[in-house]
Amino acid sequence: MITGILFGIGVAFFGFVLQTSIAGVNRKVVARVQKRYGPKWYQEFLDIFKLLSKRSVTHGWVFDFGVIMALGGIIGTAMFMPITQNLIAFPEYDNFFIFVYLIAVGMLGMAMSASGSGNPLASIGVMRALTTMLAYEVPFMIVVLTIIKLTGTSSLSEIAAFQQLAGNNWFFIALPLGGIVGLMSLMGMVGKKPFETHIAPAEIASGPMVEYGGKQLGMLFIMHEITVFIEVSLFVHLFLGGADNIIFFVIKYFAVYTTINIISSVYGRFKIDQVVLFFYKWPITMAIVQAFIAIYLGWVI
Amino acid sequence: MKEMKLFLGPQHPGMHGNAAVHMYVEGDMIVKAFLLPGMLHRGFEKGMERHTWVNNIGLIPRVCVVEPDINEMAFAQGVEMLLGMEIPERAHYIRMIILELARLSTHLMAYGGLGSPTGLYTLMYHAHTDRNTILNIFEKITGHRVYHMYIVPGGVRKDLPVGIEKDIHAFLDDLENRYEEYRDLGINNPTILARITNTIELPAEVVWELGVTGIGMRSAVNKEYDLRKVIPYARYDKIDFTVPIADYSDAKSRVDCKLQEVVQSINIIRQCLVKMPEGEVKLPLGRGQSMRWTVPKGHVYSVVESSRGEFGYYMVSDGGLNPYRVGVRGASYPQGLLGIEKYLPGTRIDDAALWVDTMGVCSPEIDR
Repeated sequence: MITGILFGIGVAFFGFVLQTSIAGVNRKVVARVQKRYGPKWYQEFLDIFKLLSKRSVTHGWVFDFGVIMALGGIIGTAMFMPITQNLIAFPEYDNFFIFVYLIAVGMLGMAMSASGSGNPLASIGVMRALTTMLAYEVPFMIVVLTIIKLTGTSSLSEIAAFQQLAGNNWFFIALPLGGIVGLMSLMGMVGKKPFETHIAPAEIASGPMVEYGGKQLGMLFIMHEITVFIEVSLFVHLFLGGADNIIFFVIKYFAVYTTINIISSVYGRFKIDQVVLFFYKWPITMAIVQAFIAIYLGWVI
Repeated sequence: MKEMKLFLGPQHPGMHGNAAVHMYVEGDMIVKAFLLPGMLHRGFEKGMERHTWVNNIGLIPRVCVVEPDINEMAFAQGVEMLLGMEIPERAHYIRMIILELARLSTHLMAYGGLGSPTGLYTLMYHAHTDRNTILNIFEKITGHRVYHMYIVPGGVRKDLPVGIEKDIHAFLDDLENRYEEYRDLGINNPTILARITNTIELPAEVVWELGVTGIGMRSAVNKEYDLRKVIPYARYDKIDFTVPIADYSDAKSRVDCKLQEVVQSINIIRQCLVKMPEGEVKLPLGRGQSMRWTVPKGHVYSVVESSRGEFGYYMVSDGGLNPYRVGVRGASYPQGLLGIEKYLPGTRIDDAALWVDTMGVCSPEIDR
């Protein structure tokens, strides 16, 4: 048990280092798209360490406790994330639904803390984040339930193994419509444009993050990096066949994250009603069609 | 639903310049809004009364930071009208080159500025890279990047440097080659279209009511009301160009007009470079030390077409060393101060920054 917990914390730490490094490299990639040089790849680490070393302003215990709850909840979720077939802290508990429920703890901590700041822009941001979540989760869940129906399991490592055993036939290719829906939903989860409505600096001054500074902001940066690690890893396991070894995992992870970043860099931001309308129009239709084709007609490429 | 008060500025990523928009919102809808200017109030008009005619050349570009050259032109033209002076032919063409480069720079900045409220920062960086090239050209011509103090009463401060035509042509060719790419990235981008189509409309009757000019007006009333055509100054009457218009003014049509003006400005600069004669570029205002120059008694309204509309200086001289009174008509004053108060209510929080950007609000013009 103790070994499992230590292993899990190691997974969360690995996720943080991996995502922060790749995010740093991606800042260079996006900078090239934007005709800039961009900062050094380790700039994200410097930002976080600097913020953690600064003094903080508090807006009451809800504000402070929410940040700790958010970071703790996300670390707790990341502990269950398989990296490869063999690198799993809790082999029996790498269930997709565990992530769905546990990740909500961190998100609610963040929402509670932001609302506790008393800033109306933060409250608007939280409302927008929750609305966006309602929009992308429906089509995403339809696609994931299709995958679960096809594989007969909700364990991430077993879904990944299923894809590898089936001739390395990734669900991103086997279920092409579902794969695209998954990618769009991932962009919504990670908060990439055009679904970045809850941050929207020019409208609501970064929304939930508006009142944070110093240590709290540093902790939220760490929380954000680990959240992105969980979300991108989910995509890698569900749609790209997971990984046999850690190098393949990192390559697939890098490819997914860089792709959504490049797509994001050439799109603007929707309004919140346009986000909801978009997800309830195209991805949900594609997801239903994909489920019908895969489950009832049995057509899987 | 509870009404909340939100602040767009003065320190806000969505606000352009030193002003704030106070918004009262119910949910996402704005129910009341007003602009709070005055944060850059340095008393430009009063300051001009206390400086000599020549000293004012250094003060006036500050009235609009983004497009300072129109101030220089309006002021210089006004002084020349009071003096009854005709400046050298070459100076007219150089002035037009400078003014059109400034128009390009401002339109690029506004188009790039569209990237901020809509989150498309790539557009902003691309546009600012091109604006930087224009600033490099300005630096070579005038010695300054932003405030040029180049168009002065009597002509321009000095002649164009040798070989600058090559730099200007290279930039214009490059910009023209990438024009379609610019459109695809911004105004043809589906996510941007979703944000700017049918957003913050400006009906024709509002244009007359507020006194909106420039692209805001031309895109609403479908008339070529451009001062370069209506009362041509410099040598615009000898240049062939068209004025983009539209019959429906929403954020999209205003941005579209700006992009079409970019093409026209490129053509104007090219024609100026071809038609520009050799010769003198500046005449002295009077004899003796420039600080002792006086301007004959009288009053004049000198007006130019800025990238954002009619920009004018009403100047009164009592024949002394300083102007007796100067009044500045800021091009964005009507839509900035009055438009926000009367027509922002009914739109959404998401659109407030778009109003400021597409209507070309320049807050120092309101403070002046």
